[in-house]
Amino acid sequence: MKRGTSLQTPEWPVSLLKPQKPGQRVRKASGWRLFLKTVLARAYPRIIGQQREKSWMFFDVFLPLLSVAAYVYIYRAIKAPAEYVGFVVIGGAMTAFWLNVLWSMSSQLYWEKEQGNLALYIIAPNSMMAILLGMALGGLVATTLRALVITVIGSWLFQVPYAISSFIQLFLVFTLALVALYGMGMMSASFFLLLSREAWHWANLAQEPIYLLSGFYFPIKSFSFWIAAGASIIPLTLGLDAMRQLIFPSGAALGFLSVEVEIGALLLMSVLFLLGARALLAYMEKLAIQEGRLTESRR
Amino acid sequence: MEFAIKTENLGRIYKIRGGKKEDPKELVALSGVDLQVGRGELFGLLGPNGAGKTTLIKILTTLLAPTSGRAWVAGFDVTERVNEVRQRINMVSGGESSGYGLLTVRENLWMFAQFYGLSSAEANRRIKALLKVVGLDDRINTKSSDLSTGLRQKMNIVRGFLTDPDVLFLDEPTLSLDVGASRDVRRFVREWVDQDPTRTLLLTTHYMVEAEELCDRVAIINKGRVLACDTPANLKHRLQKDVIYRMEVSPLNSLGTAPFEALPGVRKVVHRPQDGFSVLELILEKDDALSSVVATLTSADKHILNLQKREPTLEDVFVDLVGYSMEEVEQAEAPEASQ
Amino acid sequence: MTMATSEPLRTAEPKLLRSFRLAAWLGWQIESNWADPFLFAVYSIIKPLSSAAILVVMYSIITQADFQAPIFAYIYLGNAFYIYVGQVMTGISWAVIDDREHYKTLKYVYLAPIDYPAYLLGRGVARFLIGSFSVGITILFGVLFLNLRIDLAEVNWPLFLFSLLVGVFMLAMMGLLLAGVLLLLAHHMWGLGEAVAGALYLFTGAIFPLEVLPSFLRPVGYILPVTYWLELVRRSLVGQVAQAFPTLAGYTNLQLVGILLALTAVMSVLAVVVFRWCEGRARERGLIDVVTNY
Repeated sequence: MKRGTSLQTPEWPVSLLKPQKPGQRVRKASGWRLFLKTVLARAYPRIIGQQREKSWMFFDVFLPLLSVAAYVYIYRAIKAPAEYVGFVVIGGAMTAFWLNVLWSMSSQLYWEKEQGNLALYIIAPNSMMAILLGMALGGLVATTLRALVITVIGSWLFQVPYAISSFIQLFLVFTLALVALYGMGMMSASFFLLLSREAWHWANLAQEPIYLLSGFYFPIKSFSFWIAAGASIIPLTLGLDAMRQLIFPSGAALGFLSVEVEIGALLLMSVLFLLGARALLAYMEKLAIQEGRLTESRR
Repeated sequence: MEFAIKTENLGRIYKIRGGKKEDPKELVALSGVDLQVGRGELFGLLGPNGAGKTTLIKILTTLLAPTSGRAWVAGFDVTERVNEVRQRINMVSGGESSGYGLLTVRENLWMFAQFYGLSSAEANRRIKALLKVVGLDDRINTKSSDLSTGLRQKMNIVRGFLTDPDVLFLDEPTLSLDVGASRDVRRFVREWVDQDPTRTLLLTTHYMVEAEELCDRVAIINKGRVLACDTPANLKHRLQKDVIYRMEVSPLNSLGTAPFEALPGVRKVVHRPQDGFSVLELILEKDDALSSVVATLTSADKHILNLQKREPTLEDVFVDLVGYSMEEVEQAEAPEASQ
Repeated sequence: MTMATSEPLRTAEPKLLRSFRLAAWLGWQIESNWADPFLFAVYSIIKPLSSAAILVVMYSIITQADFQAPIFAYIYLGNAFYIYVGQVMTGISWAVIDDREHYKTLKYVYLAPIDYPAYLLGRGVARFLIGSFSVGITILFGVLFLNLRIDLAEVNWPLFLFSLLVGVFMLAMMGLLLAGVLLLLAHHMWGLGEAVAGALYLFTGAIFPLEVLPSFLRPVGYILPVTYWLELVRRSLVGQVAQAFPTLAGYTNLQLVGILLALTAVMSVLAVVVFRWCEGRARERGLIDVVTNY
C-alpha cells in the first residue's frame, strides 16, 4: 500500500493528534451528560451569539415598544380604564415570545436544513430532542431579556400600576406558559420542516390572527366562551390571562377562567406538547432517512 | 482483514415527483454495490458528479436508508444500529456552510464538539491543534460569517477531525479550496490515517490526482455501480499492455472520434476541444496503431501540433471502463446530476 | 486609428418609462404566487382583517361597541389606508435585498441600460396592487359588518382620487429613500420597510388623533406627509366625521392638499438625494453585488 510522503515542518502540529497507543480515542460523554452538553451547546449561539448583533435593540426592543405605545394611545383616545394600558404593556412584551417561537423555533429546522446543519445534527450521536431543547432554552433566555426590557421601559413610560396577588402562582404561570409555548414551537419545528417553503407563509399567518385570538392587547373574556377556549390551544392565551389576573388590581374580574384551572391546563399542555415534539421529531427523522429529501437544501 | 465499512448488494432508488398529474419517476442512484474497506485504509470513491458517491456516503452515515441490500460501518448495521454507528463517525462535505455566522470559528467548533460529548478542555486543545494544521489558527476568533468560502471549508474540515472518529467520511473535501490549501489538506488526511492503524477514511472525489496520490484503494463508480475497485497501481496495471498517447491537432470540428475508433488497434479515443486546437487522448493496443491514426488525420487535412507518449493515469482507467472521460459523462448528465 | 463605437439600440420608449414598465412586470411575476388562493387569503384577507379586528375588539370592549361614534370611523379608516404605507414602502425597498441576496441579479440589473430608481419604483407596483386588495377588503368588511358608514354619493371623489395618487407617489418616494439606505445595509435589515412603517403608525395620527400623543411627540406627526395624506383620505370619504377632531380641523381641504404637495415635493427631493448618495457609497464600498446572508 502506498503511504504519503511526510513533509513535516516544525509548525506542523499533526503529532498533537496522535494517540498514545493505537485505537485510543478521546473520551466522550454519553447518556444524560451528552444530552445536557448538547442542550447547552445549542443554546449558546442564541444566548451569546444573538447579543452580538446590536440591531436587536432596534428590532426587538425599540420597534415593539413603538407598537405598544400605539395601542396604549388608542386606549387613551377611547378613554379606557388605566389598567388596560398595563394589559397592552404585558401583552406587547409577550409578543416577543410568540415571534421568537414562530420565527426561531417553528421555522428553525427548515433554516437549519437550508444551511446544511440539519444533516450534521442527525448524524451526531446526540438526540435531536436535545438540539430542539437547546434551541428552545436559548431562545427563551434571549427573549426573556428582550421581554423584560420592554416591560420595564413600557411600565415606566406609561406608569403602569401593579398589584401582584401571588408571586408563587405568577412564577408558576409564567414558567408553565413558556414551557408549553416552546414545547409547541418544538413540535411545530418538525411540522414546518415538512411544509418546507410553505412554512414561511404559515408563520406569517400565525402572527396577527394570534395577536387577535390570544388577546395580546385585551382580555379574552371579551370573546364568547368557545372562541376563548379554542384560542387557549396557544399557551400564551391562558398564560397572559392568568398573569393579568395575578398582577393587576382589576385583573381577576376580567379573567377567562380561574388561575388554578389555567395553571392546570398549562401543565397539561406542557406535557402534551413536549411529548408531541418528541413523536413528530422521530417521525420527521424517519421520513428524512427514508425519502432522503428533508436534509437536502434546495434553493 | 477487519472491515471498517462493508456493503452487500447496496441499492438506492429515489422517487422523483413530477407535476401533480405525473406519476413519480424512479431514479436509480445506487445499484448492487459491494464494497469492503479495511480498518486503517484511506479509501477513495472516484466518479463523475451524479455517479452515486454522495448517496453512498449518506447511507453509510445513517442519513439515508438503502432501498436494497445492507451496509455496516465500524461493525454496526447502518439501519439497525444507528446510534452505535453515529458515535464512531463524522462527515465533512465540500461546499457546506454549517455552523452559525454569529459565532466565531472557535465557538462553532466547540459547539459541534459538545454534540459528540467532548469535554470543553479537550475540545479547545484539539481545535487549536487542528486550526494550526489547516492554517486557520490566526482566525480562531473571527466570526465565521466573515470567512471566505475557502476558509469556511477549512473550518468544516477541522469539524470532521475534531471529534476523533473511527471512520471519517469526506465528501469532496477540497471542492472550494485553492491549490495550496488542497495540498495541505491532502497531506494532513494521509498523515491522520497513518498515525493510527485503527482510523479509516473514506473520501469521495472527482479529482483523479487526489484519488491517485492519496488513496490506498480506489473504487471507480459510475451511474450507481462500482466498475472497479483496487489500488491505484493495480487499476493502472490493467492498461499496462496498452500504449497511451496525448496528441494535439488542429481543430477536429465535425470529424469527431468515430473514424479513429474504427481503426484496428485503437481501443478508446477521448476528444477535448481546446481554444484553437483539439486534444486527442488515445488508448492503443500497440504502437503500430498510431500510424493509421496519423494517416486518418492527414487524409482529413488535420495537422499534428504535438505528440506525447505517457504513462496511464486513473483518468485512462476511467475512460477504459466507461468509454468516456469523466468530463464527458458530467456534461452528458448535467441536467440531472443532483445526487 | 479611431475607436469603433456602436450605436446603442434605440427604442421609442423613454428609458425612465421602459425601466418602470419592465420592473412592474417583473415584480408582478415574482409576486405571482398571489394567484394561489391560500396565499391570497393569508396576505390580502386574513392578516389585514386580523389587524383591524384587534382594534375593533379593543374599541368595542371599552365603548360597548359604539360603532356610530366618529372616532370609530377615524380609527378604522386610518388603519385600513395605512396598509399602503407598509406595502408600498416595503415593496420598493425590499427589491434591493431580493435582487441582491436572493436572486443575485442586482449587479446585472444595475449594469443594464435602465434607470435604477425607476426600476425600483416599478418593482413596488405589484405590492401596491396587492395592498389595494387588502384596503378594499378591510373597508368592505367595515361597511358590511361594523356599521362603517361611507355614503358613496357623499364621497368627494376628485379629492379622494387625487389624494390617493399623491399619497402613493409620496410613499413610493419614501420607499426609494429606504431602498438607498438598504443598499448600504446587511441582509438581516430586510424588515426595515415594515419597521419604519410600524414606527410611523404611532406618529401620523393613523389610529388616534395627534392630541393623544404627549406634546413633545406631536411635531413628528406634523412634519410627516403621511399625516396629511390620511387626513385627506378620511375627509374625502367620510367628510364631517373626520373634521370632528381638532388636530387639523383648522385647515381647509385646499390647504391640506397644498401642505401634502409641498411635503411630498420635499420628500421626493430628499429621497433622490439620499438614494444617489447611498448608491455612490455602495459603489465605492463594492456593495452592489455583496451577499450578506449567513
